[in-house]
Amino acid sequence: MRRLGHVRAPVAAVLAILAVGGTVTRAAELDEVVRRGALVWAADQEGGGPHVFPDPEQPTRLTGFEVELADLVAAELGVTARFQQGQWDRLPLLLGRSADCVINGFELTPERRRDYGCSRPYFAYALQFVGRRGAAPATLADLAAPGPRGAWRVGVLTGSAAEQVLRARSDLQVEVIGYDGTVDSLEQLRGGVLDGVVMDDCIFTFYADRFADLRAVDRPFAGGSYTVLTAAATPRLAAAIDAALGRLIADGRLEALYDRWDLAGRQQMLLLRDAAEIPAATRRDTWDLVRDTAPLLLKSAGMTVLLSCAAFPLAIAIGLAVAIGRLHGPAWLGPVLATYVEVLRGTPLMLQLYAIFFLLPKVGLALPAIVAAVAGLALNYSAYESEIYRAGLRAVPAGQLEAAMSLGLTKWQALRHVLVPQAVRLVMPPVTSDFIALFKDTSVCSAITVIELTKRYSVLALSTGRIVELAVATALLYLAMSWPLAILSRWFERRLERPAGARP
Amino acid sequence: MIAVESLVKTRGGVRVLDEVSLAGAAGGVTALVGASGSGKTTLLRCLNGLETFEAGSLAVAGHRLVAGPHPPATLEVLRRDVGMVFQQFNLFPHLSVVDNVTLGPRVVLRETVSVARGRALDLLDRVGLADFATARPATLSGGQQQRVAIARALAMRPRVMLFDEPTSALDPAMTAEVLDVIVDLARSGQTMVVVTHDHGFARRAATWVVELAAGRVARQGPPPDVLG
Repeated sequence: MRRLGHVRAPVAAVLAILAVGGTVTRAAELDEVVRRGALVWAADQEGGGPHVFPDPEQPTRLTGFEVELADLVAAELGVTARFQQGQWDRLPLLLGRSADCVINGFELTPERRRDYGCSRPYFAYALQFVGRRGAAPATLADLAAPGPRGAWRVGVLTGSAAEQVLRARSDLQVEVIGYDGTVDSLEQLRGGVLDGVVMDDCIFTFYADRFADLRAVDRPFAGGSYTVLTAAATPRLAAAIDAALGRLIADGRLEALYDRWDLAGRQQMLLLRDAAEIPAATRRDTWDLVRDTAPLLLKSAGMTVLLSCAAFPLAIAIGLAVAIGRLHGPAWLGPVLATYVEVLRGTPLMLQLYAIFFLLPKVGLALPAIVAAVAGLALNYSAYESEIYRAGLRAVPAGQLEAAMSLGLTKWQALRHVLVPQAVRLVMPPVTSDFIALFKDTSVCSAITVIELTKRYSVLALSTGRIVELAVATALLYLAMSWPLAILSRWFERRLERPAGARP
Repeated sequence: MIAVESLVKTRGGVRVLDEVSLAGAAGGVTALVGASGSGKTTLLRCLNGLETFEAGSLAVAGHRLVAGPHPPATLEVLRRDVGMVFQQFNLFPHLSVVDNVTLGPRVVLRETVSVARGRALDLLDRVGLADFATARPATLSGGQQQRVAIARALAMRPRVMLFDEPTSALDPAMTAEVLDVIVDLARSGQTMVVVTHDHGFARRAATWVVELAAGRVARQGPPPDVLG
């Protein structure tokens, strides 16, 4: 939505709120699932093994113990299982919309018991701290004091129990960094960006061969169980899935499945328990919600402003240089810069951020996430800005360059004093519009662990269950930032309309 | 001051300048006349390097240009001594009138702002626009804009001034006010080359008239000899 005019942004925000608010009612109950003949289960294949992942032998096929579990549960309901992909921390938002249930290592927590239907546990996990071989910390006890680089940098899967447990441990000197995929954090640990990763032990066991230079630090230090999530509005579906799990446990089919996946060494005794053993959390009242979330939302809004205000001037400077190079530089430079523009315009921003954040450390250039985010946004937008400035420079009449050069100005002096100032004025409206587009595009940076406003909203909405209230608050925050921005740029536009040298 | 020898310029296979030589135009005011498309403007633009040519050579204010692409350094030095006034004025719209006039002296001659501004105000006074120093070019009439353009070129203290049909975009009243400035400049001894359709003006101000026809010099000489 990068070309969305700033006038339409508030409208889009309101529509987004309505869309989120309107989802609660349309959940498919058990009879509809049966009539349809398919149980749609959601998971994130990026979350990785051993849960759900593309078969290395045949990448178009999904495999993992939860794929098999979904097949078993669906068969118990007399239907077939149908997979729905989603980003892991937002999978519960699909419930009642494009998915009937979520089966993807979702830990049974009081918050989830409050907000969703939760089946009896189907798996017991333990949280394992993973470090590099031969590197600090040697033991978990070391985390109580700062490491050689200050607070220990520890990666977790965003929204996972590992994140929750770690953030609650105020006794540890750790900076918790959320990732969207499990393999990403292990790569960053290997590259030296992180000091450790906390994840479910079965995941680390699964990837241990691939990451032979990483090691488990001490024994797992916390644990819990996975549950199948359903929408709160589908209690009969939830009960049917829970009963199906009960039968799979009782007749040993689940145990056989875990044997096949080499997961049976776990204390799977928990499976005999009931979801109700974990009490549901109580809903906080609105005042508590505001008190608990406002500082976090404001801080994340600050990150959004920081990213935009750091990236956009850079994008303009690079874009202008590229435009001048293409129009007035030496002949060999033209194709080089044209390629630069097409590559950056023709590939997704998300991919560019990934390349900068996850691939550069492989060649020895590990950038902090914020630097990588600013660099990625600046490079991506520089391609668009260069095209705008190229058009702006070409729109200045040819007689202007001739008049300047006739006065004895060199080409660069003519550009500096005559062409660029006029081009800048000509392209103010599209450039302003791009600034607001970039402002909103900062949300993509959450993919490389930068927590800005949209990501913060999504995390808070899921942990508190107050999706609509927080959506309104978040939209208002965006508006409160983009509206003054639009006013400021209109003022700037008017200021530029006046001759630069006009003095009383 | 100005010598042109056997200049040849082709455009799309057509010789727009065909062995053009100017001998008698040593100084004073040279008027280039002739029908549209006869090559007057092209010849003028060759004189300050806005156009290149394929054969021949020329010398202006002691600077020599030869056939082929001109080195930028040669042109920058030449253009300090050769001012140009365009048919469409080409004022810089983002700068005030006085800043249009001071841009060259400040950037090229490295004059201080106060020195350049003082001289600019004198020049604006000379062309009758002292009251418009802080105005935007777009708020001026065509005649006023062209007079600012003349002041802008004069601010570089050029040894030769080139005028490319300076009044053909103007109505008669504005034409008169611009021609008065040019005639006044001619009387003060400024060497200049003026492309014009206005034979009356040529008779009044020129010391030498060159008539071009189809890219060749048809006639040249003192005004009464050429214009009759």
